[in-house]
Amino acid sequence: MSLDWLSAFLIYALFTVAGTVGMAQFLHLQMGLAGIGNFGIVGFFGLGMYTYGVFIRRIPWPDAMGDILPFVISMLAAVVVTALAGMLIGWFISDLDGDGVLVGTLGFATVVYSLALSEKRWTGGAEGMAVTDPVGFGTKGNSLFWLGLMLLLVVAATYYVARVHRSPYGRLLVAIGQNEPLARSLGKPTFGIKLSLFAIGSAGMGLIGAIFAVMNHFIRPTEIGIEVTLAVMVGLVLGGSARVWGAVVGVLLTAGLFDIVVQIYLPLPDSWYQITLPVVREMVFGAMLILVLLWRPLGVLGDMRRDKLVARLGRG
Amino acid sequence: MKSFDGRVVVDVDDLILGSNPVEGLIGPNGAGKTTLMRMIMHSVRLDQGTVTFHPGGGSSSVVISSLPAHAMASLGVVKTNQVIQDFEKLTIWDSLLLAAARGRDERPFRIFAEKRVWAQNTAEIKRYLDEFPFASPYGFAKSAGEKKLLDILRCLLLRPKILLLDEPTAGLPADVRDRVMALVRQKAVDEYVSVVIVEHDLNVIWALSDYVHFMAEGSVVLQGDPAWIREHETVVEKYLGKGHVGR
Repeated sequence: MSLDWLSAFLIYALFTVAGTVGMAQFLHLQMGLAGIGNFGIVGFFGLGMYTYGVFIRRIPWPDAMGDILPFVISMLAAVVVTALAGMLIGWFISDLDGDGVLVGTLGFATVVYSLALSEKRWTGGAEGMAVTDPVGFGTKGNSLFWLGLMLLLVVAATYYVARVHRSPYGRLLVAIGQNEPLARSLGKPTFGIKLSLFAIGSAGMGLIGAIFAVMNHFIRPTEIGIEVTLAVMVGLVLGGSARVWGAVVGVLLTAGLFDIVVQIYLPLPDSWYQITLPVVREMVFGAMLILVLLWRPLGVLGDMRRDKLVARLGRG
Repeated sequence: MKSFDGRVVVDVDDLILGSNPVEGLIGPNGAGKTTLMRMIMHSVRLDQGTVTFHPGGGSSSVVISSLPAHAMASLGVVKTNQVIQDFEKLTIWDSLLLAAARGRDERPFRIFAEKRVWAQNTAEIKRYLDEFPFASPYGFAKSAGEKKLLDILRCLLLRPKILLLDEPTAGLPADVRDRVMALVRQKAVDEYVSVVIVEHDLNVIWALSDYVHFMAEGSVVLQGDPAWIREHETVVEKYLGKGHVGR
């Protein structure tokens, strides 16, 4: 089978889109179901990326361990650290209203960015740090390997989300999003549920960040700017934040269309790629968000249809 | 005791609720009935004093005023809401299953627990839905009456040991109200649920309760059986008025 049509550029674009879909799925659980608007996505993404980097680079791994074991341990560290950070943030914001959550989570992302810049001894500061690829399938083989892993992760996340929608846990998340005091009065430990929700979502975003680090071979503060959060948020809202497939449809319509179709297949002047296109991308995403909120505030797919779901479950 | 901005709203020395199957709690507006209920349910903090729950049946008593709000339901201390409360995006079946489902089926990785929750609770929920038909049980509660009824059914599905009903009849159509009250009476007598009703529709109180607490200006002024309370001078003067239809 010839894979020549898969240019390095296309592989990387697919990888980015897949990562964005993955993060949008985790955001979907927090925002679409439980009603917690997490604007700190890039914070968790970045924390995972940097935790992986710091572990793989700053720990003197003995040669006898080979390449794979340090890689696995550092990945696990990224997942654990971001899960703990998620619980901490979840605890801080658990009693705040929507505005408070927005500011708190945005603040967290800023803290991560500032730490990445300032703690040069660990993070390499503005220059960043290089990380090596632990697998050896050649340049293109490696990229395909990480793309495959990311796609697997996205499929798993989507499957998990779809199952959550038809599980008692999902019903409880919706209840918390709709009326938390009422859920509490029905004996539901809403605080603990929100903490675990944040732990899971953050761990997922952190893992995606760590895989980005390996794919990029390089970790820099410019990778963890606000545009990561924007792409996830705009994609999810455009697709429909309350639906299982909202993240997939929305991100394909935004990042998918722009990063793949426009950037790769449209004959654009080469000089545009460095500065013009990223700016145009933000503008188009912003405009799309406004249009969606004006004409279809619940996204392309619309609101959740629990009446249909429950009727199907009830009739067996 | 509870005060807001220095103004004492509820000041009860020593009150025992739930010694009889059905008890009524009545009093004029502003007497502190709802605040007292909220103090018991821990949705407002106590300034002084404690609330203790005696489950009976050999279990030891629990000081519930130091427990988190969500721990009350699993002890069997349950209250219906005076103001209509609902989950807008959950259907009627969802709402009832949510109330009935147990905590260990609602953990993040229990993604295959739905079938079990349905299997365990369908019979009980169907019984309630047969007795109180909703316009579309797989859909959403639309009218205020449906939402109020749903609130009460959710509380019954929690299998309460003590059930506080805060103005349960407000918004219910008369025939539904009578059936709800008959069901509540039956739960109290057959299943030993201690029921406390706060209600302005005094016909419900006189017809249903075995014992009545009368509150005025933040304290419980009188306690006794309904017939006696109904004729008592203080109650007549402070609440009912001489020509009240409820007498």
